[in-house]
Amino acid sequence: MTLLLQTLILGLLAGGVYALMSSGFTLVFGVMKVINLAHGAMIVVAAFLTWWLWDRTGIDPLLIGVCLSPVMAGIGWLLYKTVIARVQRVDWELTLVASFGVAVAAGGVMALIWGAEGHAATPSYVTASFELGSLVVPEAQLYACVGAVVLLAALYALLRGTFLGRAIRASSANRDSAALVGITVERTMAAMFAIGAATTGFAGAALSVLYQFVPDSHYVWIGRILCVVILGGLGSFLGAGLGAGILGVSEALTSSYVDARWATAVPYVLIIVILLVRPQGLLGGRVRADGVAA
Amino acid sequence: MIRLESVYAGYGGGDVLQGVDLAVRPGSITCVVGPNGAGKSTVLRTISGLLRPRAGQIRLGDQHLNGRSPAAVIAAGVVQVPQQDGLFGQLTVRDNMLLGGYLIRRDKARLRRRMAELAETFPIIAERARDKAADLSGGQRRIVEFARALMTEPRLVLLDEPTLGLDPKTCQTVFETTRAIHALGATVLMVEQNVRFGLKLATDGVVMERGRVLLAEPAEELLARPDIAAMFFGSSAGAGTATGGPDAPGH
Amino acid sequence: MKAARGAVLGGMVLLVALVPLFTPDTYIHNLLILTFVVAVTASGWNIMGGLTGYVSLGHGAFIGVGGYTAGILAQRWDVSPFLVAPLGGVAAALVALLLGLATRKTRGAAFVIVSYAMLELLGQVTRNWSGVTGGSQGFLMPLPSWDIRFQNWPFYYALFALVLLSIGMTVAIRRSKLGLGLMAIRDDEDKAAGIGVRTPVYKSIAFMASAVLVGVAGAVYGYYVSTLSVGTMFDVVLSMQVVLAALVGGRGTVWGPILGAFLVVSLSELTNTTLGGADAGAIRLILFGGLLLAVVLLLPKGILPAASNLLERWRRGSAASPTGARLEDTPLPPAPARAGTTTGPSTGSTAGSTTGSTTADLLRVTDLTMRFGGVTALDTVTLAVPRGSITALIGPNGSGKTTLFNAVDGTYPVTSGSVALAGRPITRLGRVQRAHAGVGRSYQLPRLFDSLTVVENVAAATGEFRLTNLVLGAVSGAEAARATELLEFVGMGAYRQARAGDLSYGQRKLVELAQLLMLDPDVILLDEPAAGINPTLRRRLTALIRALNDSGRTFVIIEHDMHFVLSLADHAVVLARGAVLADGKPGDVSTDPAVLEAYLGEDLAVGADK
Repeated sequence: MTLLLQTLILGLLAGGVYALMSSGFTLVFGVMKVINLAHGAMIVVAAFLTWWLWDRTGIDPLLIGVCLSPVMAGIGWLLYKTVIARVQRVDWELTLVASFGVAVAAGGVMALIWGAEGHAATPSYVTASFELGSLVVPEAQLYACVGAVVLLAALYALLRGTFLGRAIRASSANRDSAALVGITVERTMAAMFAIGAATTGFAGAALSVLYQFVPDSHYVWIGRILCVVILGGLGSFLGAGLGAGILGVSEALTSSYVDARWATAVPYVLIIVILLVRPQGLLGGRVRADGVAA
Repeated sequence: MIRLESVYAGYGGGDVLQGVDLAVRPGSITCVVGPNGAGKSTVLRTISGLLRPRAGQIRLGDQHLNGRSPAAVIAAGVVQVPQQDGLFGQLTVRDNMLLGGYLIRRDKARLRRRMAELAETFPIIAERARDKAADLSGGQRRIVEFARALMTEPRLVLLDEPTLGLDPKTCQTVFETTRAIHALGATVLMVEQNVRFGLKLATDGVVMERGRVLLAEPAEELLARPDIAAMFFGSSAGAGTATGGPDAPGH
Repeated sequence: MKAARGAVLGGMVLLVALVPLFTPDTYIHNLLILTFVVAVTASGWNIMGGLTGYVSLGHGAFIGVGGYTAGILAQRWDVSPFLVAPLGGVAAALVALLLGLATRKTRGAAFVIVSYAMLELLGQVTRNWSGVTGGSQGFLMPLPSWDIRFQNWPFYYALFALVLLSIGMTVAIRRSKLGLGLMAIRDDEDKAAGIGVRTPVYKSIAFMASAVLVGVAGAVYGYYVSTLSVGTMFDVVLSMQVVLAALVGGRGTVWGPILGAFLVVSLSELTNTTLGGADAGAIRLILFGGLLLAVVLLLPKGILPAASNLLERWRRGSAASPTGARLEDTPLPPAPARAGTTTGPSTGSTAGSTTGSTTADLLRVTDLTMRFGGVTALDTVTLAVPRGSITALIGPNGSGKTTLFNAVDGTYPVTSGSVALAGRPITRLGRVQRAHAGVGRSYQLPRLFDSLTVVENVAAATGEFRLTNLVLGAVSGAEAARATELLEFVGMGAYRQARAGDLSYGQRKLVELAQLLMLDPDVILLDEPAAGINPTLRRRLTALIRALNDSGRTFVIIEHDMHFVLSLADHAVVLARGAVLADGKPGDVSTDPAVLEAYLGEDLAVGADK
């Protein structure tokens, strides 16, 4: 019983981190319908930057992560302007292929600069944990989870309550109509992509603290992010949260009860199963080809 | 109030507008009619900045509108209600209205004032404020669209086929709402497929054909012309309307 | 021109074939062997991604499947891997078949993700199943059993043969009916189903074809590298290079993937030799990632199509595009006869079953309800379409007219109720089967296969599925004759070879009509045929419909143009808010007060006339 509870706690905490990783991706996917396969790479880049700065200055990694957000936002904005905006006009599937190219190239850049060995940032609380009776709650994971909740709540508030949020939702619904109320659609889309990219700052910092990472880690992480978003369905934040929890718990259960080696296969199995059985995800509504016209 | 001079514009496959000369009287309801492919909607798109004219001028008073961005055109006081999908279905009525005031969003006081004023003339805005726009009926959506267009207190309102896709009962609502907008002080330039409806509603009428303005007269006189009837009212032997050229988008 | 091209290609093939004889330099052999592997995989990818439109980021997985299957079996049965290499192909084809089953629910971007997940999952499974596969330690293949003097010739020629086979397979598919169906699926899968293409079967075949030779190549390649490891056999970078090769060379072309493979492997080698050192790997990644990006942004169609476009434009010079011409008022050719008199292997069998029937009502809809989410689009609608009639379906917007069409042609499953054609219930039939049963349907915005020619579009309409038909020429035989006849009838005969994507709106409508006539439908559903077309075309359309009706076809027409409706229809049904409001003669219906109230409005002058 204790093993089960402990497994669940670890799984949920991991899920919280996954939700953090996926938040920016969900935003971009849900509103712009763009699948940015370079999102994992951006998180790993942020992780490297965090580690590098921590190594030099000793400042708390999670704090560094917050400060990195504007930097990552800038990178995201650049990425949007040079790649995403252009490809969207060409062919939808090719957006994935193009962003995949960016991810692979980014992996190469990271390997070039920092080499291929594993790294991790290790602030004081990395090994510390809270104790709940016989259960252990790792501190670092907890902080990351809290950060995730705060971030997701902030994003939700942004979309619902601000003019930028409304402009984003309007632009994704109908570009011309959005332009006719005075929205500069291109700028809005770029802003939104940048916001999605900004989340990778803190996410990358969390990664650097919680896991070991190498340049090639972006494959693993984009796999997990895709799984979360697909589970949750159609870019809803609630769904992403749910999906993240399910993935985290599934991996933990597989690790504890089956074999740790199979835990890494879980995201892919879930992706395939969900896309075959219920492509709209757990929370997405039925996707209809067209509305009820005439 | 607004004047188009020798405007040429197209979508890459050739010019849809082939030298349009059009003048709209301030305080009028001007209705542009014409057969398919005449370029009516294209005129509105060009004025609103969605399409850049290849040649010609668009003057609003002493300002030039040609080539300016949609946001700049709205800032100059010209707002368009598009043919379809103007409202954002997944957003609430209130959000839609707020977006109508996007360009004045920093002036919170003015925003609130406009919302309140418009809610008086169009009560549905307040009644269904929290509902998603997609949940309203076609006619109700049109009303919200019209109201939204007035958020920035424009001088000129462009209506692109306001009765498109609406059954005649709802058309009546459109008729009244347009008159209401006019009464509030805006000049209206509209494009209509339904000639009788448009010319009954309007004060001034314009006939376009194949990218040019053919006639411009007071609406009543235009409606009474016998040859107009032959052109538009279902007669298939319309001389001079057998165009084999590209059809305008949306038609 | 073609002869010159053939000579050049033949010469190059010969040259490559003779390389091992000219030079013993194993470095060059190795380079070419790698090129062959990439070429075969890219060619296979091309069938899935270029012809059928399913872009895969995991095609390299089939190399791994083939390699491990052959290696394991060779070890178990103690034979040469060459002998069991075909089984590697079979295994790959089976995996591809499973992947194809996934496409029933996933398309486009979702499919890209599934393909990537498949690659990673197979890699993980292989790594974890270490008892059988050797896991992370790798799997040792048997040593070559031939004379050392022959070096790696067997590998070279085996892979070379596979490249030639891949080219041959692509050529064969492209020219056949299978290829035509696949390209139709690529352009508009649902429309393809609507004109009778049995899409699940076509896709399964395409997927298997795209993987089988890759699997065999994987087996040979595995033997060549002699130690199988998950990293090399399920390499995501290889998958990426394959996509790059196909895109660079020319997606959908025959030689594009081959050209692309040469370019990609050469570039890969360039980074190895000029840079070397520990950074070579990183530089390679940057190069390929960047190239993939560049190709997608700048040259998405690839080199070969871009080059042939330029050539085409240079040759044609300023000759006017045939598609811009005006439609003229010409008399109609005679209407094509119903099947039974004109026979064709794929189209003859459909209508015979219903023309003999004597039911008065051709189409009968009973208590039909269609619900989407919380909206009831159709509410227990019952109506009958008399055989040989032209029935108008009218009503205000949102009344459910198009939904009714969608229910009849099988686009959406019914929530409840039934649809019967000539007395036979078709409610349970799928889209493809309904097309074969005799339901033809057009769209408000005409749907055609834009990358195909006009005649290909019409010939793509396929009758009852017959496996042997797939190998026939794409536009050939009786079908070609019938397609031409139909195009002449609608007045588009001169545009046979024009690209469908270049046509104007009105021309598209005519081609769509010819297309749906191919299957000789009993009932033809037209969705706003008169919308947005000039009076000349409207006259022609009216004449076409009358002629077809006179020769025994039944029509159901959705229209807003009352003049068009009243002049053409002999029966009218009015829908309002998802329910039938009136049903009878057009003259009666248009004066029924309830109808006027709902549809025409109080002030008849406002909104009724056009």
